[in-house]
Amino acid sequence: MNLSRDTAHRGRISGLQGSYPGLTYRGSCSRAQHVHPLVKLVLLLSFSTAVIAVPSVLGQGFFLGLLAVFYALAGLGSTFPLRKLRFIYLFGLLIFLVQALAVGEGVLLWRFSWGPLHISIRSEGLREGLKLMMRFINIIGSSYLFVVATDPNKLAYALMQLGLPYRFGFALITALRFIPIFHLELEQVKNAQMAKGIELEGLSLKNLLRAVRYLYVPLVISALSRVDNLTISMEGRAFGLHPERTFMSSQALSTKDRIIILAIPLFFLLCYCFFSR
Amino acid sequence: MVEPVVHIENLTFTYSGAAFPALKGIKLKVYPGQFLTITGPSGCGKSTLALCLAGFIPHAYPGEMSGAVYIQGKDTREYPAGGLAGIVGLVQQDPEAQLCTLTVRDEVAFGPENLCLPQAVIQERVDNALRSVGALDLLDRQVHTLSGGEKQRVAIASVLAMAPSLLILDEPTANLDPSCTREVLQTLERLRTEQGISIIVIEHRLKSLSAISDELLVMDRGEIIQRGSPKEFRRRYVPTDVGTKPRIAFSQPCKLHVGLVNKEKKDPLLMVDNLRVGYQDVDVLSGISFSAYPGETLALMGDNGSGKTTLLLSLLGLLKPRQGKIYLSGQDVTGMKASRRAREMGLIFQNPNHQIFEKTVVKEAMLAALSLSEKAPDQIMAGVDRFLEEFELRQYKTENPFCLSLGEKKRLTLVSVLAYSPRVLILDEPLVGQDRHRLSFLLNAIERHRAQGGVTLLVCHEPDVVIACCRRILFLEKGKLLINAPVDEALAQLAKMGRDEYLPAWEKEGNPDEPIS
Repeated sequence: MNLSRDTAHRGRISGLQGSYPGLTYRGSCSRAQHVHPLVKLVLLLSFSTAVIAVPSVLGQGFFLGLLAVFYALAGLGSTFPLRKLRFIYLFGLLIFLVQALAVGEGVLLWRFSWGPLHISIRSEGLREGLKLMMRFINIIGSSYLFVVATDPNKLAYALMQLGLPYRFGFALITALRFIPIFHLELEQVKNAQMAKGIELEGLSLKNLLRAVRYLYVPLVISALSRVDNLTISMEGRAFGLHPERTFMSSQALSTKDRIIILAIPLFFLLCYCFFSR
Repeated sequence: MVEPVVHIENLTFTYSGAAFPALKGIKLKVYPGQFLTITGPSGCGKSTLALCLAGFIPHAYPGEMSGAVYIQGKDTREYPAGGLAGIVGLVQQDPEAQLCTLTVRDEVAFGPENLCLPQAVIQERVDNALRSVGALDLLDRQVHTLSGGEKQRVAIASVLAMAPSLLILDEPTANLDPSCTREVLQTLERLRTEQGISIIVIEHRLKSLSAISDELLVMDRGEIIQRGSPKEFRRRYVPTDVGTKPRIAFSQPCKLHVGLVNKEKKDPLLMVDNLRVGYQDVDVLSGISFSAYPGETLALMGDNGSGKTTLLLSLLGLLKPRQGKIYLSGQDVTGMKASRRAREMGLIFQNPNHQIFEKTVVKEAMLAALSLSEKAPDQIMAGVDRFLEEFELRQYKTENPFCLSLGEKKRLTLVSVLAYSPRVLILDEPLVGQDRHRLSFLLNAIERHRAQGGVTLLVCHEPDVVIACCRRILFLEKGKLLINAPVDEALAQLAKMGRDEYLPAWEKEGNPDEPIS
């Protein structure tokens, strides 16, 4: 079964991508495309640090609003995050409910009793619940935005040109290169199982262990069989021959990018100071 | 006097732990601009020789080496693995596994960047390399969107960007359909004539190569046993297995089909009626209708992307058709689960690594039969034992199947399907990576299946094999069944359509006396 220009292959790949709620780079979010990947990385790191550090509900609310602005600036609108992150919102809601019901401090806001069952919500529980829910959505939402708006290839090349050892950079690039191949191979292994009449339905432990062995052993073997080819291909083209390498496409930072990179942490430091008062 | 690019002096190499040398007393000289083709059965040492030439042996593969390999006068023992990059370029069989970046631009620039060349020089080399293989238009494409032929051309370009004097290609067309194969071979011919690069191609399929090679070289058990010009070669070298078979002429009825049942007297075993299959918004197959009668072997041919694999998956129920019906012995099985349909239809995929699940060869051979066959386990065991013997796998019974060679794994997957005797045998490119000697195992199995009244659907791009064992050809193009006709008629139609790459070499060249391989 050839992997090449096969419509079937493409169909299956995109079908698989669909099962990971769109967690892949979208070249179509054009406005974000022009921002240097390192600026986006610094923005993500600064935003996440501030979200973790700021203790107030108001602060988390501010960051949630800021995140919505970032989504809009990236050209992803409001429906995209609502649709793609719906599981995150549900999980956030669960966190909120657990906190609200579990924390027994503060002013009693609501109480419900039914026989031996007593449920109460207090002001501190409500506050903690809201804070943790927003913090969770802010962290996941910003990471998600970074992934969909940043070309991983450009990011890896930018990091290498900034000083990241090129062996690490190419570890990332090679991993990305093989993700679609492994998706496809997973499908092929599943097909091969069904072709042999192997049914791994049901929730028994035995079935689960068989499923793991029958799915992942062929995949791992297949991956390992590519290692030799890849090594020969890369070393045959002088990979690792010199401690440094040059790059055809420059990912250099402009003066504007450098100023933005300095300004971003400062902005979030100010936010932290303001909301921690 | 012209100095040779390659000079091998009495080279012998034994891998660590191996009982026998992989290469024995190899002597070879290759001159600038020479095109050399190396062939021989699987495991004869061709790929080991390529690794020696590229300088990976003795550095990256432990073993004992005697003799010497000089590339442009440089002794390979004195350079580390990859140290000859820029002098020798090695292109491997699987284009998918050798491209390591995400875009064509980055892939072709990868080598020159590693050589620390200035940006302007890299840019120039990238453009020149892609132009040389006729792929400049692919510059901004993502690697995963390329076809097999395009990937192989990009792989060649990425090596050419290193400006090598010697280009070695290890089975560069093994995974490609005939159209892509022609594309790649035309590129090689152009490189040799326009740039004077020395080229060594390792290949099982010689037909297209014999026309462009200066010299053909045959290896067996680590030694060079025959060498000569293509013309000389044709007279002297006829592989033992196919050489003993009677020559099958283009217009003659195939020997294997003598005594075939008359279609009109029997119902079809497999019938496909107006099948339409697709993914998301795209129809990959549409309007596919054909019947296969007991005792028929059908060849399924077509370019990559024409829908062959989709058809096979649909037949087994691994893909649900959007429209149309599939009948097996007159029973509508369109909605039947794949695992139930598998009892009657045995599908062997191209890559054996995806279909091996057990820890020992014998367990793997029995796995499918245990769930699909109605026979008792001891009967299955006895049958499997016979097949393992026949397919020369018995000695590996208790070994891990993943330790077998590619050809052995392929034979094992065939055994595991034959063990439960499905009435329809579906084989997806079973010849890839198989030498001519091992072909006889497959041909015998197909013939036995046919004699028992079974149907075989064989995805195959080897016209000689198709002529030798198939009754009809189904030719797909862009998801449509373009040809459904007896072999000779179908080949005539393909000839009319100008699809020469699907015709046997002797038919193209008008030389009916040429041997099959």
